Amino acid sequence: MTQPNSIEEHLDRQAPTVFIMPAVLVVLCFSIFPLIVSLFVALSRLKFVKGGIEAKYIGFLNFKKLLFGSQQYHFLGKFDQLTTTGYVIMSVFVILILVWFYRYFKSINFSLVGTIGRFVVATGLFFLLMLTLINLTTPKGLPGTLVVTLTYVILGVIFQFLIGLGLALLCVKKIRGRSFFRMVFFIPMMITPVGIAYLFRMLTDMTKGPFAPVVMWLGFEETSWAVIPWGARIAVMIGDAWQWIPFMFIILLAGLESLPTEQKEAAIMDGAGSWQIFRDITWPTLLPVSVTIILIRLIEAFKIIDLPNVMTNGGPGIATESLSLHSYFNWRTMDLSGSAAVGYLLMVVAVFICLSFVSLVKKRIEIAQQ
Amino acid sequence: MNIWQQITKKRSFEDSSVLESILSYLILGIWAFICIFPIYWVLVTSVKEPHVVNQGPFYIPFVDFQPSLHAWEFVFMQESMNTLRPFFNTVIISLISAFITLLIGSMAGYALVRIHYRPKIVSIACFILILILAILLITRMGLDWRMVLTSGTAIFLLFIFTLSRRFKASLGNNDIGFWMISQRILPPVVVVIPVYIFYQQLGILDTYLAMVITYVAINIPIVVWLMRDFFFSIPVDLEENAALDGASRYRIFTTIVLPLTKPGLSATFMLVLILCWNEYLLSLFISMTDTQTLPLMIASMNTTRGPQWWYMSVIIILMIIPVIMIALFLYRFIVRGLLVGAIKG
Amino acid sequence: MFKLRNKMISGIVIAVVTLLFTIPAVHAKKYDGVTVNILTMEAPQIKGPMVKRAPDFKKLTGATVNIIGVPFADIYPKMEADFATGTNSIDGAVFAPQWMVDFIEPGYLEDLTSKVKADSAIEWDDIGYFFRSFSSTYGGKIYTIPLDGDFHMIYYRTDLLDAAGISPPTTWEEYTYIASRFHGQDMNGDGTPDYGSCISKKRNAQAYWMILSVAGGFIQAKGTGEGMFFDTKTMKPLVNNEAFSRALDIYKETTKYAPPDEINLDVGDTRGLWTAGRCALTLDWGDIGTLAIEKGSKVKGKTGAAILPGSRKVLDRSSGKLVSCDRARCPYAVNGVNHAPFAAYGGWSGAINTASSARVKDAAYDFFSYMAQAKQSNVDVTIGITGMNPYRVSQFENLSNWTNAGFSKASAENYLGAIKASLNSPNMILDLRVPKNQRYQQVVLDTEVHRFLSGEISKQEAMQRIEDGWEEVTEEMGRDGQLNAYRNTLGY
Repeated sequence: MTQPNSIEEHLDRQAPTVFIMPAVLVVLCFSIFPLIVSLFVALSRLKFVKGGIEAKYIGFLNFKKLLFGSQQYHFLGKFDQLTTTGYVIMSVFVILILVWFYRYFKSINFSLVGTIGRFVVATGLFFLLMLTLINLTTPKGLPGTLVVTLTYVILGVIFQFLIGLGLALLCVKKIRGRSFFRMVFFIPMMITPVGIAYLFRMLTDMTKGPFAPVVMWLGFEETSWAVIPWGARIAVMIGDAWQWIPFMFIILLAGLESLPTEQKEAAIMDGAGSWQIFRDITWPTLLPVSVTIILIRLIEAFKIIDLPNVMTNGGPGIATESLSLHSYFNWRTMDLSGSAAVGYLLMVVAVFICLSFVSLVKKRIEIAQQ
Repeated sequence: MNIWQQITKKRSFEDSSVLESILSYLILGIWAFICIFPIYWVLVTSVKEPHVVNQGPFYIPFVDFQPSLHAWEFVFMQESMNTLRPFFNTVIISLISAFITLLIGSMAGYALVRIHYRPKIVSIACFILILILAILLITRMGLDWRMVLTSGTAIFLLFIFTLSRRFKASLGNNDIGFWMISQRILPPVVVVIPVYIFYQQLGILDTYLAMVITYVAINIPIVVWLMRDFFFSIPVDLEENAALDGASRYRIFTTIVLPLTKPGLSATFMLVLILCWNEYLLSLFISMTDTQTLPLMIASMNTTRGPQWWYMSVIIILMIIPVIMIALFLYRFIVRGLLVGAIKG
Repeated sequence: MFKLRNKMISGIVIAVVTLLFTIPAVHAKKYDGVTVNILTMEAPQIKGPMVKRAPDFKKLTGATVNIIGVPFADIYPKMEADFATGTNSIDGAVFAPQWMVDFIEPGYLEDLTSKVKADSAIEWDDIGYFFRSFSSTYGGKIYTIPLDGDFHMIYYRTDLLDAAGISPPTTWEEYTYIASRFHGQDMNGDGTPDYGSCISKKRNAQAYWMILSVAGGFIQAKGTGEGMFFDTKTMKPLVNNEAFSRALDIYKETTKYAPPDEINLDVGDTRGLWTAGRCALTLDWGDIGTLAIEKGSKVKGKTGAAILPGSRKVLDRSSGKLVSCDRARCPYAVNGVNHAPFAAYGGWSGAINTASSARVKDAAYDFFSYMAQAKQSNVDVTIGITGMNPYRVSQFENLSNWTNAGFSKASAENYLGAIKASLNSPNMILDLRVPKNQRYQQVVLDTEVHRFLSGEISKQEAMQRIEDGWEEVTEEMGRDGQLNAYRNTLGY
C-alpha cells in the first residue's frame, strides 16, 4: 500500500466539513439576516422618511396589540363562555395530560429538562385546545386567524393523509393502467399555487363556474358557499387538498411498493385477515415515511396564503383568513411591523406544533423500531 | 356459488376479487376525473371569449359555444415580449437553482447520514452571535441599544428552547436536520423586505444571481430531508469496502452513492424544480425588468377590471406544459427511484 | 507638391469627418439616449395605451420609455421599497393619486407646478376642475398628471326602466325601491331569474369605495373642501353617526336584491354580470359604459348612466344627526337632493421620482404630458380596454369620438351627460389621501364593513370599531401630522 498523498489525506479528513458546510452556510446566512431584521421590525414602528427608513423601538407593543389589544379579535378571535361539552373535553384533556406526566415520572429517563419540556408542551396544547373550543363551539365565539390556520393545518393534513393513503393502497394492487393513474394523480402538484387559487375561484363561481347547474339542480341557488363561514373554509380546504394529496400519494405509494410480499403471504398462510395484515405489517413499515411527509406538510400548511387570498380575500368577514394572509394584508399597506409581529407569532406556533409532533410521535416510533 | 360469493372470491392474495377490482377502478376513476377536470376547464376557458365566460358555464367547444383563439393570440403575439421573457427567465432560473440545490443538498444529506456530527452548543452560539455582530456592523443601521439587547436575548432564548432536551454540551445530526427544516416555517412575507434590502445593499437586485441564491437557500432544507431517506437505504458495507480499498469520501460519494440513488435524485430534482418554478412573492420583489417570472404574469392578469380569466388560463397552461414534459422525461427514474429508495425514515 | 497634396487630403478628411459629426447633431432629438423607466400595473389597461404610444413618443423626442408592470396589489409596496431604500430604479410611476401623500411627505415625488405652467400643449384648463385642482395637487402644488378620470356613477337598464315608466334613481331610497321592483325578473331572456342590483362587495377588493359612495351624499354637502372622512378641525372620524348608519342600512339592503354570493364578487364579476344582462342596477366606475358596447354584450344600447344618487337629508356634524336639506345646508342640491359624486381612487396619474437626473425627469414629464394631451387622450378614453375614463372637458363635448367607437348617439349623450354632471359638480368627494390611507380604508373600513355584511357584528359595533380603528391609526401616525395632511389635501 502506497502512502497516500498528504494533501489528499488532508482533504479527506476535512470531508465532513466540506460536505455539510456549504448547505449550512447558505441556509445560515440567508436565514439569520431576515430573522434578525424581522425581529427588529416586529419590535419597532417604521416610518418612511427621506433617505430611508426610520425605526422607532416600541418593545412588545405590536405583540400586545395582537394578543390583548385592538387586533385581538383578528388574531385570537372572539371569546365566549365554554359550553358543557367544552368543559367535558377540557377535563378529559387535563386527565390525559396528568396520566402522561405520571407515566413519565415513573419512567427511567426522568430529568428536570424533560419535565420542563413536557410542561411547556402541555401548557401550549392546553391553551390552543381551549382557544379552539371557545372559538368554534360556543354560540358567540368567532375564530381569529390563529384558530383558522390551525383548522386548515390539522384538519387538512389529516384529510390529505388519509385520502393519499387510501389512493396509494388502491394503486398498489396489480391493476391495469397503474402508470396512467400515477401520472394523472401527480398533475395537481405541478401547477403553481397562484394558478390553483384562480382555478378554484373559477370552478366555485356560482354564476359562471361549471358546477353552477349542479348547485341549481340541488336547489341551493339562493345561497352561496362564499357567504357561509364554514362553507368558505371548506372550499379553501378542498383546493388545498386537491393540490397536496398527490404529494402524500406518490410517497406513500413508493413506501407501499417497497414492502416485501413474502411477509404478507406468510401471514395469509397463517390465516390473517386483510385488516390484521394492514395493522401489523403494512402500517408499521409506512409509519416512518408517514411521519416525515406529515411533518413536511405541517410546516408548509402553516403558510397557506394563495387559496384564501384569491378565493375569498379572507372573507366572509375574516372567516377564511390564515395567519400568513393576515401578515400579508398588513404588509401590503406597509405596516411592516404589524406584519412581522404576526409572522413571528406564526413561527412560534408552527415550531411549537412541529416540535410537539416530532417529540411525541417520532421518538416513539424510533424506539419501537429498535 | 351465488353472485355475492362469486364477486368477492379471490384466487390468491395478490389478485383482487371482482368486487374489489370494480371498486378500485371506480374510486381511482373518480379521483382521476377530479384531477383532470380542472385542467380541462382551464383549457376550455382559454379558448372562450369574455362574454362567453361571463354568461355562464359552457362545457364543450363547438357544441356549446364558439371557441376563439383571441386569448392565445393576445398572450403570444401582442404581449409576446411580456410572456416570452418571463418564460425564459423561469426556465433558466428554476433549472439552475434546482441543480445547485440538489448538489449542495445531497452532499449535506449524505453527510448527515454517514457522519456523526457533534457541534458544541457553545461554539454554535458564539458563531451566530459573531455573525449577528458582523451584520450589524455592515448595515450600520444605527439601532437602538435596547433593540439589540432584546433581540439578542430573544434569539438566544429561542435556541435554548429548541435544544432544551439535550443538556449535553453538543447537538446531534437530528438537531441539525430539524433546524434546517424549521427554516421553511417563517412565511416569505416577513422575509421579503429584509431580503430586498440585503440584495439592494449588495447591488444585485434584479439579477439572476440574486434569484438563484434565494431559491437555493430556501430549498436546501427540503433536499436534505428527502435525500437523507434515500441515502439511508444504501448498504454501508459497499462504502466501507470502498474505503478499505483506499477511496476518499469524495470518490465514494460520486462513484458509488450517487449512481445508486439516481432515482431518488430525479424525484427530488423534480420537486425542487416545481417549487422554484412556482415561487411568487420573493420573485416579485427581487425582480424588476430583467428577471420577472411566470407566476407574476398570472397574478397580473387580475387587474382592476377583475380577473381576466381567459388570459390567465393561457398562462396557467403555459406554465404546466414544460413541467409535465420534464416530469414525463424523468418519470422512469422517478418511479424506479421511489421504489428503490426504500424509505425507512 | 507632395506637401500640398497631403494638406489637401487631410483637409478633405477633416471636412468629411466634421460633416459626419454635425449631420447627426442637426437631426438630434431632444432626449436622444435617454431612458425613462415607468412603473405601473401589469395589465392591458393603463399599461397597454402607454406601451402603444411609447414608440411614437420615441420618434418625436428620441427618449426610450420602458413601462414596467407589476400586479396591481403590489404597486404600492414596490414603489415604497424602491424609493425608501434608495434603489431609485424607477423614474416615474402611474398609480393612484390617492397614495401620493405617502410619497410626497418623505420627499420622493417631484413638484411639477412649474413644468405644468410652462407647458401649453397639455391644455391644463381643459382638464376637469376637480382633477386639476384637487386630484393632482397637495398643499397647493401639482405632483401628478392625470391620465384617467375615476369616479363612481350608477348604471341602469334603460329598457327596463322605460318600460315601467320609472326615471333613474336620484336618491338611495329610490335605488333600493327600483332594485326590489325588478329583482327576480328575467332580464336577459335566458329564463333564469336575475338580480335587482349588483354591487361589488368582496373583501380586500374594491368594496370599500362602494360603501363610501353610498355614504357620501349623506355626509358632504358644502363642496369638495368640506371633506367626508374627518372633521377638519379635530380629525375625528365621521363614521359613527346617523348618516353612516343610514348608509350601512342601505348598503345591506341592496344585498337582498343581489346575487347570493354578492359579498364575494369583485368588480370583474359584477361587470361580467352586467354585460350578461343580469342586473337592473349597478354601481361602478366609468368602465361599464365602454364595456357595454363591446362584442357579446347583451346590454348594448340598453345601458344608462346617472350621477350618484344622493340624499334629502345630510349630516349635522355637531350633533351627529341627519337633518333635512335646505339652501344653506346643501348649497349644491339639485331638486332638493344633495349629490356627492365620489372620485373613488382618483384616476390613474403619473408622478416623477425626484431622485432621477434632470434630463430624465424632463423626458418623463413630456411623456406624461404627451399621454394626457387631447389628441391622444380623447381617443384613449373611448376605448374600453385602455381602462382610461374621461377627465377632460373636451372629451365629453365632442360626440364624434364616442360614436366612432361604437356608442349610439343616444347612449353617448346619456353616458357623457352623467359624466358631465358628475365632473361639474362642485360637491365632488375627494378620496382619502392622508398618509397610510390604505390602513384607514382597506384594513379598518373594509374589514369591519365586510364583517357587518356577513353578520359577524352588528351595525352599531361596526361603526364603533371603524371609529376606534381610525382613531388608533391617527394616533399612531401622529394626530397633528394627519390633520395637517388632511387639510392640505382639501386645499386649506
